[in-house]
Amino acid sequence: MTGGEILLESIIAQGADTIFGYPGGQIMPVYDKLYDYQDRLRHILVRHEQGAVHAAQGYARIKGAPGVVMLTSGPGATNAVTGIADALIDSTPLVVIAGQVGNAALGTDAFQETDYIGLTAPISKWNHQIRSAADVAQSVARAFYIASTGRPGPVVLDMTKDAQNGIAEYIPATCSFIRSYDPCPVPEESVLDRAAAMIDAAEKPLVVFGHGVMLSGAEKELSEFLSKGDIPAGSTLLGLSCLDSDDPHYIGMVGMHGNLAPNIMTQQCDLLIAVGMRFDDRVTGTLESYARQAKKIHIDIDAAELDKLVKVDLPVLGDAKYVLTELTKKIREASRPEWMMQPIMEASVEKHKVIDPELYPEGGPLKQGEVVAAVSKACEGKAVIVTDVGQHQMTAARYSRFHRNRSMITSGGLGTMGFGLPAAIGAKIADPEREVCLFVGDGGFQMTIQELGTIMQEGTGVKIVLIDNNWLGNVRQWQELFFDRRYSFTRMQNPDYAAIAAAYGIAYRRVEERSELDSAVQEMFETEGAFILDVHVAEAANVFPMIPPGKSVNQIMLNETDWI
Amino acid sequence: MKTHGENENLYEVTAYTEDSLGLLYSISGIFARRSLDIEKLLCYPSAIEGVFKIKIYAWASPELIRQAVLQIEKKVDVIKAYYELDTQRSKKEVEEVKEILRKREEKENK
Ligand SMILES: Cc1ncc(C[n+]2csc(CCOP(=O)(O)OP(=O)(O)O)c2C)c(N)n1
Repeated sequence: MTGGEILLESIIAQGADTIFGYPGGQIMPVYDKLYDYQDRLRHILVRHEQGAVHAAQGYARIKGAPGVVMLTSGPGATNAVTGIADALIDSTPLVVIAGQVGNAALGTDAFQETDYIGLTAPISKWNHQIRSAADVAQSVARAFYIASTGRPGPVVLDMTKDAQNGIAEYIPATCSFIRSYDPCPVPEESVLDRAAAMIDAAEKPLVVFGHGVMLSGAEKELSEFLSKGDIPAGSTLLGLSCLDSDDPHYIGMVGMHGNLAPNIMTQQCDLLIAVGMRFDDRVTGTLESYARQAKKIHIDIDAAELDKLVKVDLPVLGDAKYVLTELTKKIREASRPEWMMQPIMEASVEKHKVIDPELYPEGGPLKQGEVVAAVSKACEGKAVIVTDVGQHQMTAARYSRFHRNRSMITSGGLGTMGFGLPAAIGAKIADPEREVCLFVGDGGFQMTIQELGTIMQEGTGVKIVLIDNNWLGNVRQWQELFFDRRYSFTRMQNPDYAAIAAAYGIAYRRVEERSELDSAVQEMFETEGAFILDVHVAEAANVFPMIPPGKSVNQIMLNETDWI
Repeated sequence: MKTHGENENLYEVTAYTEDSLGLLYSISGIFARRSLDIEKLLCYPSAIEGVFKIKIYAWASPELIRQAVLQIEKKVDVIKAYYELDTQRSKKEVEEVKEILRKREEKENK
């Protein structure tokens, strides 16, 4: 077989059946073989390689298995860099296969040659150049193994033309062991005993959980742990939907635009238990004062995250599912009625000061929160919510309710505008049965708007809620609050989205009036296939609560003038 | 060249690694991102067959060198990384790396 065929056989052998890609000169030998594999591999032709990577990310987050991307060398490969960096920081498993010039041309500045190993070394979990057909099967097996185990991440295979065209025998390969790599560290029993003792001794414990819970499939274990210990828990942005919004121990989202209860209680708890999260600065506010009063346990599978930003009393290196299962066995059944009252009090302040004015305003233009709440209600908290980056992202995170796990897909660590539309396409392709609803700002929509072409060609039924405010809203908010209202280049003129939707053959409705909102949302969900709901919201609105940069997580703005 | 802070020392970092193309980029990048000066960098076969040694001499505070070494160790192709102020440990290191490889293989064969 040629290396190209071995590549495709090896991808199939890993259980993958979908590739997001874009062809070009240096990957043509593989694409030529792909023509004969159409019954076994579905190829989604995106409109830009960045879109391929984000779509594969959306796909991977729903499937819990690596998304596969195929690109040509040079510009194709460099276009993918943003997505790869996004996947690394958000721990998303990907296998990215890029074409490369022939072996003899490597290093000569040949046409469409870039040093892809050098470019992706700092933004991939692992990368490898394949220079011969004989190396293909083993490399692919390794790539899938590395991408999906331990703390997942993107893996890059840089495949020269010689490797694609060369002939070798196809010997199916598997990989479940690499001697330099230990993806599942198991904590010592004594460490777990100490953790359990700390939890039992605590009067006011608080859990903050993140994406790690989803990645290890520990949703049920988390809920059981909280229930036995009667411990309140806040989620990071990427942890959303790991716990049902109605779980009695769930108290909301932490961080810059999070809920009051988990942020304030971070400064009141006597034990902070962090699970599968990495203390991002958007979560902690200033580190100087972050949970200073509390003892801390940090459970994570990545040793480099332990004691990196927040010094803890007990680091626990291990998989969230394993650790939570063991801890639930070890801790005593507890009841903490007084401490569990605290979130209810904070929530009522937030409801009165922030939520009610956002969701039930007395007249005026539509608010972003109203739109999210209307959509969330219509899909009963069961849809996959995908967001782009900006105010609408924070609003979607705050006001969506989640009653199914794996229901929130967003760009957290990198905060990549343009992520949303292609990620939603990938999510819908991963699970066509589920409703996939994208919230996107008018800025971010235009960053990858070309992927409407992918929707058109593939018939992908993504529901797109365009939060249209004629501003780069998030930056505008910072300019208003912290830069003396000097609105430097954030006002943005929009195209005629109705005409764009029509050009791509996508159903469209524009909404400006509050009275139309529910019926428009209903029409969107009742319409077969893709839909763009273009909602014109208040232009100069801000997302609150907000922990301004450099402040502690209990120094919170409730609106433009009131602080907690 | 930047001046070194009071809290900074010259450390010797030793990584035991597989033979991997992108690894040197990644490792030197870890130092560059934190603007830690590399004074000297050496790569050579270790006393264990098939295992390579990358030695880096760099100025850093104790906390930063600890974090950098954890990030080096996180690389898939790095078996183990050490850091220290002097160079007395290398025999002990070799024994320890052998033990790590033996244990991992034993875990896999179980
Ligand atoms: C690729 C990229 N460029 C720039 C930014 C900085 N940025 C963050 S939010 C934002 C504004 C987003 O505006 P829009 O998409 O309209 O959403 P809104 O905030 O109005 O909801 C910008 C420019 C970014 N996060 N990503």
